Amino acid sequence: MEKVLETARIICRESLAPLIVRLRLHSPGISAAARAGQFVMLKVREGIDPLLRRPFSFHRIHPDKGEIEVLFRIAGRGTLALSKLGPGDPVSLIGPLGNGFELPLDRTTQIAFIAGGIGIAPLGELIAQALSGPGQTQKAHLFYGARSASELLPEDIVSQFGLRVHFATDDGSFGYKGRVTKLFEEFTARADEDFRPAEVYSCGPLAMQYHVAKWALENDALSQLSLESLMGCGIGACLGCALPAADCGPGDDQRFVHVCEDGPIFSAGSIKWNQILIQQSPPPTYLFS
Amino acid sequence: MEPNPDPTIAAPDLSVQLGPLHLKNPVMTASGTFGYGEEYASLTDLGKLGALVVKGISLLPRAGNPPPRIVETPAGMINAIGLENVGVEVFLSVKLPYLCGLDVPVIANIFGNTIEEYAGLAERLDGAPGLTAMEINVSCPNVKEGGMVFGTDPAMTAKVVEAVRRKTSLPLITKLTPNVTSIAEIARAAEGAGSDILSCINTVAAMAVDVYSKRPRLANIFGGLSGPAIRPIALRCVYEVTRAVKCPVIGIGGIASAADALEFMLIGARAVQVGTANFVDPTITAEIIEGIRLFLEAEKIAALSDFIGTLDTSCLFPFAEDACGSIEI
Repeated sequence: MEKVLETARIICRESLAPLIVRLRLHSPGISAAARAGQFVMLKVREGIDPLLRRPFSFHRIHPDKGEIEVLFRIAGRGTLALSKLGPGDPVSLIGPLGNGFELPLDRTTQIAFIAGGIGIAPLGELIAQALSGPGQTQKAHLFYGARSASELLPEDIVSQFGLRVHFATDDGSFGYKGRVTKLFEEFTARADEDFRPAEVYSCGPLAMQYHVAKWALENDALSQLSLESLMGCGIGACLGCALPAADCGPGDDQRFVHVCEDGPIFSAGSIKWNQILIQQSPPPTYLFS
Repeated sequence: MEPNPDPTIAAPDLSVQLGPLHLKNPVMTASGTFGYGEEYASLTDLGKLGALVVKGISLLPRAGNPPPRIVETPAGMINAIGLENVGVEVFLSVKLPYLCGLDVPVIANIFGNTIEEYAGLAERLDGAPGLTAMEINVSCPNVKEGGMVFGTDPAMTAKVVEAVRRKTSLPLITKLTPNVTSIAEIARAAEGAGSDILSCINTVAAMAVDVYSKRPRLANIFGGLSGPAIRPIALRCVYEVTRAVKCPVIGIGGIASAADALEFMLIGARAVQVGTANFVDPTITAEIIEGIRLFLEAEKIAALSDFIGTLDTSCLFPFAEDACGSIEI
């Protein structure tokens, strides 16, 4: 399905946590074609500041209603401006973009979902699809971590996802104390839990994704990682969202993949992780508000 | 009731003549901001463009710089892509045939590490079916060799242009960098060496840092600033260049509306290229073309060429000669 430029209207805006906002948008052209793991380029407001569109994954897709949901953390001037919009406000979207997740054909496969911070966003639709439909006998767990409890979605919302959820926070303010990938590694090693996922789906900061990739490669599991990058255009023109590819290009040169076109979903083995310059967390809100 | 518009009045003529290059309207896409056209085909009508300038091409494919490659800044962005591209052979076998099927003039932007590479590219591209013109990039700030190294030195610029000129009879555009003391001097060198047309400006050398990680925002440390933030710089450069040379000039730099485009044409640019604004609004070039048409209609100007270069810098102090001029205010 071709990408389209569409003016969507906000139907509903909900604040789910101190800095996490969920928007429901009427966007019939995009919702009809959207798949889990794909994204839209959204202009948070008209004018030249902030200048660029921002990428947002589909948190939920409702093609029957012509609606999509996006979930975001207020992390900079763009998301702050977006958080101030409400029902009836128009926003310009380009989408659907990127490759999207593929669910396993064998529905008996054990699968793990791993989310770091706002990386929970694209997993919402993916989990809904994985748990619906015929023969959904697979054993699926969600491992969901953040720096602190205030950066997690409330437990009652996450419990509606309909699968077993394991929480982790870096500061121990909720759930397991430590990084979510450590919780995941420990859980899959437990003798009293028969959970050896054959496939992992993850979204979160690159520092987290590195550990997911490492686990997947060491345990010979299939993996679909939704990777992030700053983007200029989202459609493969600016070539700004490059990541180092594991394989080389002609003449043994480093080859780069582009998150917008080749991704945002990549397998663990397709990225040269030791060549990634880890991006820092966004600054505290007092610096941009 | 408003009187009906006189049906005998023709729609304004938007066509422009740039030396040997005739365009149906003055709006082009800037190199590196529109891929090879295909990326935008489902979002906007490519056939409306005056011309399409493709992503810079080198003799061999280039991988580009390591990420992070871009960062957003106030009303702009800094990029250090490093001229990642598919190389001239893939361009000729895959990208150009696609563009040939569209009703739009295609301009190849060429880049080399050495003068011989520029010449080799021009030779390979010369006579390629569907190619309308070549734009020589002597102004990329993001590569270690070539690029801006050539474009900051008048003698080197002339050597590149001469070498390319010898290999092609296609209309030749030289794209200039603003990162020089005198852009007029470089412009004269390029014109003297046989460039039919000049385009300016390429991005402005810039950088951004992160106080938390204490790291540069770009792996390349430096990059090129583009977007509306650079438009006043671009306007000044185009003004200087149009007054330094006789050949036609294409204005580039932060154009995001018809009014922006008209500013460049008012000071003498014969055409414009739209860059970063394509990322934000893929239909912006069509809107700019329509906006220019509406402006000419409203101002009752029959042809765009009648408007180009009509900036009035005379009598900036209208009261100076007046009797009142002596009054101290």
